[in-house]
Amino acid sequence: MEAAKLQTKERIVEDERGLLDLPFLILTVLLVAIGVVMMFSASYARAYMEEEGNSTYYFFRQAMFAGAGIVIMWIVSRVNYQLWRPLAPVILLGSVGLLLLVPFIGIEEGGATRWISLFGITTFQPSEIAKLGVVLMFAAMISSFRERMQTFRYGVLPFAGILLVIAGLLALEPHLSATLIILATGAAMMFLGGTRLRWFGLGILVVGAAVFLYLQVFGYASDRITAWLDPFSDPSDDGYQIVQSLYAIGSGGLMGLGFGRSRQKYLYLPEEHNDYVFAIICEELGFLGAMLIILLFVLLIVRGYWIAMHARDRFGSLVAAGITTLLALQVFLNIGVVSNFLPATGISLPFFSYGGTALLLQLFEMGIVLNISRSNRRSFL
Amino acid sequence: MAKQTPFRRQKRPSGDVREEANRTILRRTTVVMVIAVLLFVPLAATLFQLMIVDHDQYTQMAISNQTRSTSVSADRGVIYDRNMNILATSVSVENVFLDPNEIATKEQDLALIASGLSEILDVEESFIYEQAADTTMRYKVIRRKIDSDLAQRVRDFINDNELRGIYLEPDTQRTYPYGTLCAQLLGFTRDDNVGAEGIEAYYDSYLQGTAGEIITTKGNKGSEMLYTYEKYYDASDGDSLVLTIDSTVQYYLEKNMETAIEKYDVLNGAFGIVADVNTGEILAMATMGSYDPNNYLEIYDTSVNEELTALYQEALLQPEGSTAYEEAMEAYNSALVEARLHQWRNRAVSDGYEPGSTFKLITLAAALEEGAVDLDDTFYCGGQADFAGREQTLHCWKAEGHGTQTTGEALENSCNIAFANIGLALTGENLYNYVRDFGLLEKTGIDLPGEGEGFFYGLDKLNPAVSGGISNTISAAFGQTFKVTPIQLVRAISAVVNGGYVVEPYVVSQIVDDAGNVVQQNERTVVRQVISEETSATMCQLMENVVTQGTAGNAQVAGYRIGGKTGTSEKIDVFDENGVMVEDKIVSFVGVAPINDPQYIVLVALDTPSTETGMYISGGIMAAPTVRDVFSDILPYLGVEPDYSDDDIDKVSVTVPNVTGMTEAEASAALSDRSLTYRVVGDGATVTGMIPAAGASVPGASEIILYMGSEVPTDRVTVPDFTGMSVSQANQAASDSGLYILAKGTNTTGSNVSVTYQDVTAGSQVERGTMITVEFTDHSAQD
Repeated sequence: MEAAKLQTKERIVEDERGLLDLPFLILTVLLVAIGVVMMFSASYARAYMEEEGNSTYYFFRQAMFAGAGIVIMWIVSRVNYQLWRPLAPVILLGSVGLLLLVPFIGIEEGGATRWISLFGITTFQPSEIAKLGVVLMFAAMISSFRERMQTFRYGVLPFAGILLVIAGLLALEPHLSATLIILATGAAMMFLGGTRLRWFGLGILVVGAAVFLYLQVFGYASDRITAWLDPFSDPSDDGYQIVQSLYAIGSGGLMGLGFGRSRQKYLYLPEEHNDYVFAIICEELGFLGAMLIILLFVLLIVRGYWIAMHARDRFGSLVAAGITTLLALQVFLNIGVVSNFLPATGISLPFFSYGGTALLLQLFEMGIVLNISRSNRRSFL
Repeated sequence: MAKQTPFRRQKRPSGDVREEANRTILRRTTVVMVIAVLLFVPLAATLFQLMIVDHDQYTQMAISNQTRSTSVSADRGVIYDRNMNILATSVSVENVFLDPNEIATKEQDLALIASGLSEILDVEESFIYEQAADTTMRYKVIRRKIDSDLAQRVRDFINDNELRGIYLEPDTQRTYPYGTLCAQLLGFTRDDNVGAEGIEAYYDSYLQGTAGEIITTKGNKGSEMLYTYEKYYDASDGDSLVLTIDSTVQYYLEKNMETAIEKYDVLNGAFGIVADVNTGEILAMATMGSYDPNNYLEIYDTSVNEELTALYQEALLQPEGSTAYEEAMEAYNSALVEARLHQWRNRAVSDGYEPGSTFKLITLAAALEEGAVDLDDTFYCGGQADFAGREQTLHCWKAEGHGTQTTGEALENSCNIAFANIGLALTGENLYNYVRDFGLLEKTGIDLPGEGEGFFYGLDKLNPAVSGGISNTISAAFGQTFKVTPIQLVRAISAVVNGGYVVEPYVVSQIVDDAGNVVQQNERTVVRQVISEETSATMCQLMENVVTQGTAGNAQVAGYRIGGKTGTSEKIDVFDENGVMVEDKIVSFVGVAPINDPQYIVLVALDTPSTETGMYISGGIMAAPTVRDVFSDILPYLGVEPDYSDDDIDKVSVTVPNVTGMTEAEASAALSDRSLTYRVVGDGATVTGMIPAAGASVPGASEIILYMGSEVPTDRVTVPDFTGMSVSQANQAASDSGLYILAKGTNTTGSNVSVTYQDVTAGSQVERGTMITVEFTDHSAQD
């Protein structure tokens, strides 16, 4: 027993059963590196204006977090992912607790309260933790319920209950994009876990009704819809941000204006270094550069699902698929919003947008996937 | 083995179920992966559309979003008169404006800004608050065109209080150093430095120049870009103009018209032109009352200004916001606009008027050229006459008639009945053709904006076979019932005297660019010859006779040979409030000098002299003396040598030489050199004193009193009232008072001649021997 216990402990801390998935690691590090550099270029002017001439202010902070994030990713990749199975309910309940605290201790910004201050040093969004919590919890539940997933009682009810609580709390902030991402990721995981397809039809109806209600209740959203359909009808107010974003993207052309040569970043485009960093990338690197970055993301996503498909067990498979889905949705929504394919909503681009804690968490998640890849059944290759 | 974790690892189920569940998860993961990848397809398509298809469009929009263009103003050209005196130029000034957005965002003390700027710039504080109210704006002008002193005070105010959001920008201000001189001709520029009237408007494209532009990339909120590009478009300064106008001649014309308006109590202003008959150059062109283009919005005429103030006060009496208030304000505003347009109007080119008898020159020139009459023909005037084809009896202006007159005498007398016959002899058709060829049916093409046209009978209306044809021909022949513009008449009369050439009048002789190169040179342009040189020479002869022995006797200028024609016309299209034609008259005179070698033409028309002066209202009595005064000022200035006849001696002033200390013989010689006579008081050997004193001006042939030992009287004498006196009475009164009179005006001494003006007011005390200028007017010149 003692030896087995020790062995288990060793395995949890030092999980050296297999090699890291090198393509996934390389793609992640590459995206982080490109992300930090492009964020530097995008934030240059604003840092100069708002941080008393210190143009590299955001860059240094982000680079620091990126370095710390890579270290965290390396550590997490060595932690046996089975650890997250028992921790899943803790993480989920913790995030629910934080979400409940948000209305009281949160920081309000632009009509929404989404952030909590961390010792006054930095801030983070509990919704980011909730996303991971849902993925881990759902993976644990699905791998536990197994074939019972096909029943309503096991396959739908507990999942729907959790989603309803989380989505309800997020909608109160309000935080539309996080709500949508958690709902979609949760649904995707239920789908993977074997929930019967008919329930998804019902789910879509419910979500559709909720979205409709949401738009009715929060009037500001309908301005967003107007600005989405015709941003140039009000280019100085509601449509300002998207119009400035379109100027940046459109002036990029095939080859772009060149690295560092964005003009829109000179305080024309708001949030040019966080949510709208991709617009500056388009302006500077052009269509080819933008496509290259999208390609890197797509490759990372495909590789994430590949790891899921080759995971040693259902839990690992579901966690990898869930984290990859989170990533895919986040990238899709961000680029969709920046290019006005989708209506505006506050959503950052993983690895690129300025924000230390978000980057740490993303790399933490990548670490989990990397650990899952260690025990992949290579025979599938 | 079972661990007490909530989701412990399950026992491995039987192979089938496990395999099935694993297959499901694999299959479904593949589906999710495909969907996740497919999500990026529409994104790629959207980016392709934005970045490749619509690239150019967005680039343009982005560039206009990111660039600021700063205009570099070009200096407006200078306007010079023919002697390079500056009539209009631009000086550097500054505009003060606010950036309300910056004031709001930087939380500036608006109360301090308002009170400070209000005090320095003399604007209402409420206006500053009003301008600063819309905080989305970034440019709100507080005051335009302030000089550098004021601008410095604003700068000090900004610096002392460390204020943000108050700015100064350079601008230019047009100034007209001569003020009202030549105002309507020059025009003015508005706040935006664009010419609005006159030459400023007509030559705006030359004067304006091309503003330069600097296009710079500029970050939002004033941040500078790292990578910038700039494009420069150089400003090129406007061209300068050299006018044909002579500001001295212009001054004399305006001065004498101003005097005439006062002397004859002219109600509706006056207009006049001085031109070179041979080249068409305009030396002076004036419309009175004038205005000051430096303050073009101000109403210059004091009486009109008082009326406007009264209207405004009336409006203020009404409760604000009421209908009555609105209406009264509107009445005031439209009256103000009308008054402005009126004072800016250059009547010499824009408005037609009834030429009256001045037009008889055209009729006669045409008739002589056509051989319809010759100089030996005679015409009888019995004061009235009937014509077949004309219903009303035609009355001549002289009721008792002119008797039998030659062609020349008919012109001297300005006899309507004679000219009716001349017109009929010429025929309506020929009259029309000559009117056309003299250029009275077309615009002269003068380089000024808003040239008007008169109106004349159509050819069919002058056909004797047509009802009214005879009547129309008769009226037209002596210059009634139609209109020409002053500039048209000046051009036509110029053609009468210059050998028959209709020339194009012009006011700009040269356009010079900022480097001094002549861009355009305007020269004499002959449109056509309308009468022969011989007919023209004959006309000059007859016109001189009009002055020496006809209705224009009052136009005589000592030492110069003047020709001309008077005109008095009733306005044909002005009605009073009852619809009855008013008896307003325009009196005019067109004079040419020297008539033996025509060079200069002067037209002056006085619009509606008041009936209250007691003078008979006619061109001969009022306009002819005005033109005479213009000629006597400008001809010596323009270098036309006077040639005094013996009769003229007493009409010229001479300077009294100093003969003190001389013997009588020496003094006599010195005085007779200046054609002065003398008488001696006392019996000393040498001259000890004289009246008037040496250096004084006296009329030629005056008698100087030499005191030889006797005391020189030093008492002052009272100037008598000469008005109404005949020539001999005036001379007597002057010598009784110990004064000299210098006679102006008609040479004739008939019973109709009397003094109408003296330059020193009656009753004032002057030194003995002072020369008083008196003006004799021939009151028989009733046309």
